[in-house]
Amino acid sequence: MKRLTLETVSIDFPIFGGRSKSLRHALASAATGGRIGREAGVTVVEALRDISLDLHDGARLGVVGHNGAGKSTLLRVLAGVYPPTRGRYSRVGTVSSLIDPMLGMEPDATGYENIHLRALMHGIPRREIARLIPGIAEFSGLGDYLEMPIRTYSTGMTMRLGFSIATSVRSDILLMDEWLSVGDEAFRLQAEERLRHLIDNTAILVLASHSMHLIEQECDRVIELSHGQLVRDEVIHTPEESVMGTGR
Amino acid sequence: MSTTSPPAISLPETPPIDVGGAWHDWWSGTRNVDLWWTLAWYDTVLRYRRSMLGPLWLTISMALLLLGMGPLYSSLFDVPLNRFFPHLTLGIIFWTFFTTTITDGCNVFIAAGRYLKHGEFPGSVFVWRSLARNLLQMAHHIVLFVPVAIWAGIPLSSKMLLFLPGMLVVLVNLHALSITLGILCARFRDVAQIVTSVLQLLMFLTPVFWFPEKLPNRARFILYNPLAQMLDVIRLPLLGSLPASGTWWFLLYFTLLNVAIAATAYALNRRKIVYWL
Repeated sequence: MKRLTLETVSIDFPIFGGRSKSLRHALASAATGGRIGREAGVTVVEALRDISLDLHDGARLGVVGHNGAGKSTLLRVLAGVYPPTRGRYSRVGTVSSLIDPMLGMEPDATGYENIHLRALMHGIPRREIARLIPGIAEFSGLGDYLEMPIRTYSTGMTMRLGFSIATSVRSDILLMDEWLSVGDEAFRLQAEERLRHLIDNTAILVLASHSMHLIEQECDRVIELSHGQLVRDEVIHTPEESVMGTGR
Repeated sequence: MSTTSPPAISLPETPPIDVGGAWHDWWSGTRNVDLWWTLAWYDTVLRYRRSMLGPLWLTISMALLLLGMGPLYSSLFDVPLNRFFPHLTLGIIFWTFFTTTITDGCNVFIAAGRYLKHGEFPGSVFVWRSLARNLLQMAHHIVLFVPVAIWAGIPLSSKMLLFLPGMLVVLVNLHALSITLGILCARFRDVAQIVTSVLQLLMFLTPVFWFPEKLPNRARFILYNPLAQMLDVIRLPLLGSLPASGTWWFLLYFTLLNVAIAATAYALNRRKIVYWL
């Protein structure tokens, strides 16, 4: 059973400006008898405060909130990027995030090389990659362009490649920051279908968005963040598609 | 609303020191050779992608440097060229390897910021990436030693095999140093500048160009800098002589200290690094 749990998680970011990130200040505060380095005089931003969540198989969670409310930070915490400053994060199942589909694209490498690199980054073993490449190449529809450095691609083409790679791996838990929409009309339909398939086959979905419409469509529960705190948590209607792998 | 079940991954609030977790993290990155080696490979290849000779430029520019410096400094130091040239060749090649690895080491985590902020990556992957990239670069330089050694008439001897344990010691130390400096530089952004200046000074205090035996006795203490000892332990075997046993002892203690510091720094700060990026 897949599971994603946060228990009263808080995330504090130390903000080292030009001032306190420098060694001089740590030394100076040590010399003047202040507490050495660590928290002494460091501004702390509380990005998330006392967030508790318990997501099980079939959970479809929407996250809303104004800019800077902590949506992206929450997604990153759920991905395991930020270990909680206070509280506890636990997870059963593999996680993949579509937060930054362009992660690790090398402009001077060819399309194929980028597929290879990105797949390695996802932790896919070499043999598996060789098996995946034709599928990714075909889906991207870039054909012979995949032999060219992606520096020569248009923005749309690069996005298509990034999307094709990022959505080629299935995982138990899927984290998304807004709906991914890429390419021209023809590709968009194809991409929509692929994303649909990915979402339908994932045990737990967390989708952050500004569009309440989108969230009502995809999710059965919505939480709202404001200044890093959970201010709303309600169950909305069940989405039309029944959850969790009907097709399998 | 939460009941506890045995979790696969669990991140409680950061404990002060987390030795088991740090070890696990280091090892899971270390064994992912495919990933860091490929990253290092692309780092090297992509840099030269648009040039005709590619990474061969590494070899060419090093050859030019050596050809320019060799005859000049051999007459300045008044040492016969066939003795000086091999010494200088290995000196500059290994010194370049040390300094580029150490300065890259300062940036291992900062440069990997985008990855580290996106998902769970073991930090050691990026430390190995930097070390592997610098090894690849050195491999392009070291080939120059072959014609130099032949020209200078250095005979093949079994002593040269000592290069291998020497290199192992060097790699362990550079890896440990990269971890420590990588953490330090992520937290304190001026450390990289300090490191660069110290390395510049050390270049003159290390027998990269000159011969240690020319040093007056009262100044011999400067040979006890770790980089000079590390240079000895890989250069002397390739020149057909043996590093002093004192060098091995010095390096043994230094390595233990260096690894202990890196392990402590990693166990203490591994999970905080991402907050500093």
